[in-house]
Amino acid sequence: MTGGVVHYSGQQYLRNRLVLSVLSGKPVKIDKIRSDDHNPGLRDFEVSLLRLLEKVTNGTVIEISVTGTALLLKPGIISGGPVVHDCPLSRSVGYFLEPVILLAPFAKKALQLTLRGVTTDDKDLSVDLIRTVTLPHLQLFGISDGVELRIKKRGAPPGGGGEVQFLCPVVKQVKTLNFIDPGRIKRIRGIAHAVRVNPQFSNRMIEASRSLLNRYIPDIYLYSDVYKGDDSGKSPGYALSLVAESTTSALYSAESISQPGVAPEDIALQGTRALLDEIQKGGCVDQKHQSLVLIMMVLGSEDVGRCRMSVPTARSIQLLRDIQDFFGTSFKIVPVDASDSQLMYSCYGTGYVNANRTLA
Amino acid sequence: MEDRPHKPHRAAHSGAKAEKKAKGKGKEKQHGFNEKAFAPKSGRRAERQGRRNVERDQTRLHVPLVNRTPEDDPPPVIVAIVGPPGVGKTTLLKSLVRRYTKQTLNEPKGPITVVTGKKRRLTFIECNNDINSMIDIGKIADLVLLMIDGSFGFEMETFEFLNILQSHGFPKVIGILTHLDLIKKSATLRATKKQLKKRFWTEIYQGAKLFYLSGVLNSRYPDTEILNLSRFISVMKFRPLVFRNSHPYLLADRLEDLTPRESIRTSKGKCDRSVTLYGYVRGTNLRTGTKVHIPGVGDLEMKSVAKLGDPCPLPDADSEKRRRLSEKKKLLVHAPMSDVGGVMYDKDAVYINVPGNFTRGNTDVPQGEGEQMVMDLQDAGITLEDAVAQSQIRLFGSSSKNLGTEFHQLDEDEDEDEDESEESSDVSDESESEDDHELDMDVLRADPRNTGRSKPRDVARSMPSSSKGQRTEVDFADSDSDLGLDDDEEEGGQRTRFDGEEDFAIPSDEDEDEDEDEDAPRWKANLAEKAAEAFSKTPRRRNWIKLIYSSSLTPEEVLSENPNALIKKKMAEAEKKMDQDDDDDFFKQTAPEDKSRGRDDMDRTKEVIDPETLRKWEDEEMLESLRNLFITGDATAPPEEGEGEPYEDDEGGFEDFEASGKDPMEPASLDHEAQRAAALATKKEALKRKFDEQYDDPEGSSKLDFYDEKKDEMARQLQLNREEFENMDEDSRALIEGFRPGAYVRIELVDVPCEMVEYFDPNYPIIVGGLLPAEERFGYVQVRIKRHRWFTKTLKTNDPLILSLGWRRFQTVPIYSLDDHSIRMRMLKYTPEHMHCYATFYGPVSLPNTGFCAFHSLAGDVNNFRVSATGVVLDIDRSVKIVKKLKLTGVPFKVWKNTAFVKDMFSSALEVAKFEGANIRTVSGIRGQVKKALPKPDGAFRATFEDKLLHSDIIFLRAWYSISPRKFYNPVTSLLLPDKSHWSGMRLTGQVRRDEGLKTPLNVNSTYKKIERPHRKFNPLVVPKKIQASLPYASKPKLMKAQTKQTYLQKRAVVLEPEEKKAIALMQQIRAVRKDQLDRRKEKKAEKRAQHQKELEKEAAKKGEKEKEKRKEYMRVAGQKAKRQEDLEQGRSSKRRRT
Repeated sequence: MTGGVVHYSGQQYLRNRLVLSVLSGKPVKIDKIRSDDHNPGLRDFEVSLLRLLEKVTNGTVIEISVTGTALLLKPGIISGGPVVHDCPLSRSVGYFLEPVILLAPFAKKALQLTLRGVTTDDKDLSVDLIRTVTLPHLQLFGISDGVELRIKKRGAPPGGGGEVQFLCPVVKQVKTLNFIDPGRIKRIRGIAHAVRVNPQFSNRMIEASRSLLNRYIPDIYLYSDVYKGDDSGKSPGYALSLVAESTTSALYSAESISQPGVAPEDIALQGTRALLDEIQKGGCVDQKHQSLVLIMMVLGSEDVGRCRMSVPTARSIQLLRDIQDFFGTSFKIVPVDASDSQLMYSCYGTGYVNANRTLA
Repeated sequence: MEDRPHKPHRAAHSGAKAEKKAKGKGKEKQHGFNEKAFAPKSGRRAERQGRRNVERDQTRLHVPLVNRTPEDDPPPVIVAIVGPPGVGKTTLLKSLVRRYTKQTLNEPKGPITVVTGKKRRLTFIECNNDINSMIDIGKIADLVLLMIDGSFGFEMETFEFLNILQSHGFPKVIGILTHLDLIKKSATLRATKKQLKKRFWTEIYQGAKLFYLSGVLNSRYPDTEILNLSRFISVMKFRPLVFRNSHPYLLADRLEDLTPRESIRTSKGKCDRSVTLYGYVRGTNLRTGTKVHIPGVGDLEMKSVAKLGDPCPLPDADSEKRRRLSEKKKLLVHAPMSDVGGVMYDKDAVYINVPGNFTRGNTDVPQGEGEQMVMDLQDAGITLEDAVAQSQIRLFGSSSKNLGTEFHQLDEDEDEDEDESEESSDVSDESESEDDHELDMDVLRADPRNTGRSKPRDVARSMPSSSKGQRTEVDFADSDSDLGLDDDEEEGGQRTRFDGEEDFAIPSDEDEDEDEDEDAPRWKANLAEKAAEAFSKTPRRRNWIKLIYSSSLTPEEVLSENPNALIKKKMAEAEKKMDQDDDDDFFKQTAPEDKSRGRDDMDRTKEVIDPETLRKWEDEEMLESLRNLFITGDATAPPEEGEGEPYEDDEGGFEDFEASGKDPMEPASLDHEAQRAAALATKKEALKRKFDEQYDDPEGSSKLDFYDEKKDEMARQLQLNREEFENMDEDSRALIEGFRPGAYVRIELVDVPCEMVEYFDPNYPIIVGGLLPAEERFGYVQVRIKRHRWFTKTLKTNDPLILSLGWRRFQTVPIYSLDDHSIRMRMLKYTPEHMHCYATFYGPVSLPNTGFCAFHSLAGDVNNFRVSATGVVLDIDRSVKIVKKLKLTGVPFKVWKNTAFVKDMFSSALEVAKFEGANIRTVSGIRGQVKKALPKPDGAFRATFEDKLLHSDIIFLRAWYSISPRKFYNPVTSLLLPDKSHWSGMRLTGQVRRDEGLKTPLNVNSTYKKIERPHRKFNPLVVPKKIQASLPYASKPKLMKAQTKQTYLQKRAVVLEPEEKKAIALMQQIRAVRKDQLDRRKEKKAEKRAQHQKELEKEAAKKGEKEKEKRKEYMRVAGQKAKRQEDLEQGRSSKRRRT
């Protein structure tokens, strides 16, 4: 029964499934969550994410089994408004922000979310990338005015202590995407930040990164962003995030964060090479944002949306399958040209309208 | 003199006169448009004229709306014929059908589809007098023919129907006045027409079309009048309505019960049925996996949807080269619910249906098994020849060559043929070991990834799909037995089933070699594996759609080097496991942990940066290879892995031509030469386009205003929608975009209440309305509502109300409220008069801005106007914030200066604690605050006030108590009733009491009692003497004793003089005379009045007699008319209510 509960097993791809459930309104049941692990059940960050969902929505029922290995989510409506949430230190705020970014435009009221915790780590998108890459992607779908991410404090792992504020307006309907020309890269921007370490570190990273990038274009600005005192969190750390923008404003991003015992130059080179890797993969959307764009394309009006992207990641493949379970929509994926690396994703939007929005 | 002819006129050829004429001739030439005549005479006038033109232009503009109905093959336009009984609806329907198809319908029932032109089909449907039908029809009709009895006037139902239309988006309405032949006098006729037109225009819009049908000839309306009407219908243009433009829907023209007879028999007809409905998709694309709502039945799950051949197709371009529709096409009429004159038209023959023993529809004849079989034989969808042509006969189950398949595949090439045969062998395999495969899948599903799709694999039943190679004529009277067969005899290569694991039959040329080993029989499994390994050496393209949607590989496996090999490996493994299971399924070794499970997937967005893969960037050459991807690089150089190459050359607009090559590279080879030429050509073209844009058409594209820009954008998007999936095959297209409007589909519904089939009546429309994902849910809906000014009662909070909202009709219990200074939502007991208010109820969610109308009762025997309110949805939530005022009162029992002890407000100290600090007030207006509970009388507290209280003061505390609507939702299941117009929902308490004969319980405390107000006596103010003495004079009480002595005037005696006496007497006499005079005059007047009264009475009596006679005559005529009416209707319930 499609109108009934959608059923999954395993803890993988939890976030996308929760987001799709809340957006589509279909209850989701997930069982066998790490059932044969030494430490079975939901992790603290997953429970925290569920708590955050509960805060952002109204009327959501979340049932977690005693062992924590099964979960039932009956979604309510997305209410928005001012929300404050303390994230556990095991994951960075990016883990929590990503699903919220997908939900916030369809809330009843504009969302003002304050998240506290780790702002940059090696698993999730750092707040810098979310601010400079993820949020501009929303612009493709007509969500532009008032979308903002303020980085009030930075917090490096393991201590955390950062704070960000995410503001998102409410839309009625997202625009249909038609993004088929990746264009050519016209500028590169980057942020090298350092907290509770020698501020010279960020400059060293910039130097190293420039040594690779300078050969391509002159329009490169890498900012050094050093937070001091109270705003710098509880642990030392530094990172470099890079964004390349094309003539058609396709964005490619990469970042690398400090590792113990590695020189900042090496970190910077690693990040820069990751960026080049991303550029080489091409497409109009980089691999980290495939899922965002795919979900938003499905939520578009009842028209054909198209986007050119590189090969789907494992996450995206599972997402495409999950989308079919929740929305009944499948994508047409065909290679753009002779080579197999560039694919054209096209789908017929579901005509999703923000039903939560209040009239007058 | 007279008979001499006149001298003929001789025109001057020269001279002044001739010159003048010649000059005038030139002027005469510019006949028709005289510029000067319309030129403004003054500047002010010019300005005014200009302004008027601009204003007129603005009125032409409408909000641009996307029309989701395709232009090339639109669904038939629904023309609803609505009106009170006896007005001539059926006659009009028959006349119109006769006009279009030259056929006479005996008993039109249900929708009747006819082809009316090369681009247009119409579906006629007659609406009966039931308000449920009117609501449903109002939601789907594109054009309403609103019939009005000219000899009678408007009736209540007409106005009710117009109000229903108004709240659900107004379709086009044409009014039709009938029975005009009953009005004999031409002056009366003219007056009636004028009056009715005026009323009609105020209801619809000024200038709305109103038709007059005079009389009935041969039980049809006059042909010329019908022809005129049909012309108006044919040129009618339709603006998309918002609700219909966002929901798929269809008007079912056929219903079929698919439930196994056995289960019906065993359950005595009470089991839930599975039902198929047929109709044209309208609105937006219909997708599988969503729920549908059938008004009158409820929300239902679509089990499957299949596209069928169009039973009433539009003439296609090559068959109809002529401008007009051929006579043959005109004969096409699709009306499965009504008996089309006992005549069935086929493409090349006419069948006359003589009712016999084995005729379908002959329900009164008892049908045994044998009869049923004979009847079923009539339902054969395809001829024997076609069936043979379609089926693929194989001598042996394993043989790969078919017999007699060349017949219909002549145009397909050799390899495809081969492919098909492979496919069919696979099918045979499947059918042989159906259960095996089921198990197979279970094993495959058990892999660690386990998407756990909740959908059971449904064996899609589908009608023979019309393929490219051959045009199968789909009969719309197929029986179920055929349907099952088709599945096995499916043609290969055309069918895609994303759910199924086994058949990957997406027709793609690059697949062929893969398919070959993929579909190999089981005993070849090892060979296949070897072959796959051999293939894996060469890089090949993968079919992403297939890999993602129809394989059971984990995402990681999809991304691996050779996913196809993995598929086969899995199949083989599963089989092996199956074999093992047979041996020892008791002691089973659990499958070893998969690799992907081993590493704890953290649901991370960032991939792990692998230093090894990044090492390649240390190579200078590798770095250099990226240069083309930057604007500083060379654009014309062949880009790395196809990047930078424009996706579609003809797309235009998107490419960055400025950036493209400045200096082409040295032409080294012929290939390069060609490339350069192409680049040059594109560049030239771009430049030319740019030039054209700038200079050619100054008013054209460059000066598009907002409106045109939006329209352009929509047109572009629509074109993209059309083109994107154009070259896909029908089935995979349906999976991706659903069924487009205009497609004739069969929807299979499961768990349908048996009453729907049992009490099916073709006179009541069956509508299948698609629901959006949001609309499947329930919640509190806040609406803006206004009681209809013609509805006589007020609406009361917590009284059940029937709403028609979205597709649904349901009863719910609303709470009315008003916004109280934007602070709170305050409950209202009754809806305000002539004003909007809010209402909140529990029910199925509808999108904000959806209109609705409300009813107290849907019964037909109500005398007044039934639409009780109309409104629009504002908000949807899971909780409500409505409050109701609660006043707690208390009295002081001890009063100090500013403090008082108050009792009787609360009953316990705990309650007081809850209200500490709350504001309180006396009736006289002294404000105060609750301080603290007192220990002694329970619930008493100490309070402070701004002034001293009196013991007699009453103190109250104003509080707000939040309430929420009752969770009551009762769908109006009118289609499930044997008598469809008598649905009864929840009754009001009063109605229940009346029906049960119960008295209203009376609370003695609630009765009004006479208020006893004892007279209060106030003591006089006494100022002690001592104080008085010390007061200043101004402040001293001025107390004076009353005078006891008589005054002079009271004391004196009066004596008259004789003269005075005389004068007084005279005056008295005069007064007496005057009085007498007046008396007499009065008497006379009264007499006269009495006489006049008498005369008047006489006259009135005369008049009354005349009136009586007149009334008698009128009643006689009316009685005759009523009798005639009754004869006409023959027992149809006639309910006429004069407005």
